[in-house]
Amino acid sequence: MKRKSFLALLLCVVLMLGAVPFSAAAEGEVVTLRFMAYNPAQSRATYLEFLADQLPGIEIVFEYVSLDDDFNGILNAQLEAGAGPDIIELGGETKLLAAAGRLLDLSDQEFVAKYAQAGLTPYTWEGKVFGTPLQSWYEGIFYNKAIFAEHGISVPKSLDAFIQVHKDLEAAGVKPQTMGASSWEPMMKQSIGVANNEFYSDPANAGFDALFNTSEVSLAESWLPAVTAWAKVIEEGCLTTDMLGMSYEQAQAEFASGGAAMWESGPWAESDLFAANPDLDLGMFPIPGVSEGPGWLVGGPGSSLVINAKSEKIEAALQVLALTATPEAQIALTADWPGSSFLIGVNLDLGDVYADCAEAFAAGNVYAPWVAVWDFGNPVVEAYGKSLQEVLSGTKTVAEALADADRMNAIMIDEIKN
Amino acid sequence: MLLMALPAFIGFMTFFITPAVMSFGYSVTNWSVYRPEPSYVGLKNFQTLFSDAQALAAIEHSIRYALIMTVVQNTLAIFLAVLLNKKLMMANVLKTIFFLPAVLSILVVGYLFKFIMTSAPSGMLNSAIGAFGGAPVNWLGDPNLALYSVLATQVWQWTGWAMVIYIANLKSIDASLYEAARIDGAGPMQVFGRVTLPLLYPATSFNVLMSLIGGLKMFDAVYAMTRGGPGYASETIMTTMISTGFKAGRNAYACAFAVVFFVVVFTMSKAVTFVLNKWEAAIT
Repeated sequence: MKRKSFLALLLCVVLMLGAVPFSAAAEGEVVTLRFMAYNPAQSRATYLEFLADQLPGIEIVFEYVSLDDDFNGILNAQLEAGAGPDIIELGGETKLLAAAGRLLDLSDQEFVAKYAQAGLTPYTWEGKVFGTPLQSWYEGIFYNKAIFAEHGISVPKSLDAFIQVHKDLEAAGVKPQTMGASSWEPMMKQSIGVANNEFYSDPANAGFDALFNTSEVSLAESWLPAVTAWAKVIEEGCLTTDMLGMSYEQAQAEFASGGAAMWESGPWAESDLFAANPDLDLGMFPIPGVSEGPGWLVGGPGSSLVINAKSEKIEAALQVLALTATPEAQIALTADWPGSSFLIGVNLDLGDVYADCAEAFAAGNVYAPWVAVWDFGNPVVEAYGKSLQEVLSGTKTVAEALADADRMNAIMIDEIKN
Repeated sequence: MLLMALPAFIGFMTFFITPAVMSFGYSVTNWSVYRPEPSYVGLKNFQTLFSDAQALAAIEHSIRYALIMTVVQNTLAIFLAVLLNKKLMMANVLKTIFFLPAVLSILVVGYLFKFIMTSAPSGMLNSAIGAFGGAPVNWLGDPNLALYSVLATQVWQWTGWAMVIYIANLKSIDASLYEAARIDGAGPMQVFGRVTLPLLYPATSFNVLMSLIGGLKMFDAVYAMTRGGPGYASETIMTTMISTGFKAGRNAYACAFAVVFFVVVFTMSKAVTFVLNKWEAAIT
């Protein structure tokens, strides 16, 4: 009996001792925030170090889940279970989650006014701001400058010239372009790059995306000429069916090692490319259109920081967002991932790699409709991208792929709005 | 005695029966991540599902995958079991080698074969084919081949496991039956067809049901190797349920898919059990 009492007493003491540091943490000495993102920690390394330095009372646990590893599904499940992260890097799903009441309304926060409206619009739902933009993202065609120079090839300014570059390189025994088309993303983005050139550059189409959100217009009718023009890269053999059996990482490795002269991606891949090949002479040019011109990049305010409305650490999360809205934080953000800032008054140099994109940037030729305006961007572009894989494999037409995207848009509108 | 089963019963109710019943309930609502308060919509999700060519293709892929998996895996496993049940010098070593893939995670095998079968220059399988003068094959990028490439890896992984069960069954067959058959003049094929195969019924019924259900449930290997692609060529019920359902936040639609999946598995399992019972009746 005495032994049992002693054990009970010992257990109480251990529990009390264990509770002491827990209580101290609860009183706010160090607050731990879960930060879930779909871009890897190395693309935010300087920014995360900056946060750690500037906010010693906040410990950030960075959780990376790639889009390819079902970021949206995992996030949705966590939010549904009431166990979501405190801060979330969010892109195309922002409006959907805002509409569902999952995100904190940031409209009244002082730091929101520091951002340009162009950066806030994609994260605004029914007049309220739910996210603040990180640096812009953009995707174009990375190219190996040394290979281009060796074969006397210049940066293409039109789609026909782009196709001719493929033919010239192939004739010289160089693999022109590699693509990890086992992912549905690269063809989707490349074709939208051409749609930017051919469709969105026309001011008459400025209101298209808003009407697409209500299914009043369709991609199959409006984008068909542009995507048909892009599909010439398939007809001419620039994109080949073997690319459907390659992953993003495998294509990246092939390009980095000089195995191919071009690869479509964005600045987030830059550090990995140089890590694989420090001597890589890297450049990027915009996706060209049918007519000669500066070209367009696919991108914009690609992702934002939002706060889980059910977070128990909202004050700490707001501190992180407020600190991010400073020029120093924006510089830290772009240290590992070059991009322009939406913070008013901050102009950042993108570096030599993106010199060929300067004209496109100057003209404002950066757009990604599914992130910028579409309400159901992610499921629609996934349906479109998967159908483009079928276009490449010859089992579907461009018109059918666009119709698939329209169908998904209609389904989502029906299921969510009606 | 019944109390002894209570913990298992509680676990079964909590983690299987209740979620299954809830899935049935949610499948007739409009519940989604973006609509936290569901309301009743009748059979609308099922109408959407059965009017979706891609969803129907995924169901067809799952059924085709499961049937081929069941036939190929069990045929190979019986062949290997009969072969390695003989007194061969390397029999035990070979049994271990054939069984080893079964101890690996399906995801590990999937990612491993993704690198082996890739059409990238680093692809090991195509390099080996090239070394013998053959042309590269687009194992994972050809819509006519992708599902079968995944299937091949799963046959490779699970045939050894089924083989071990068949061997255990073979060990229980009385040697005097073989002796009697031979005295009666039966050749090797007759001995196999009239003695071995009927007496393998217990192992066959277990393995056939396991591979059929495993095939219908296929998710991990497809996810690791093709993500259901190219396009929708290797989508299965489970991958479609995850991608168009949960990933897109359409929870109720995903639940409708789960109900269809349950019906498919239940129907096919019942059909196979019926055939196996007929077989059992014929041999006893």
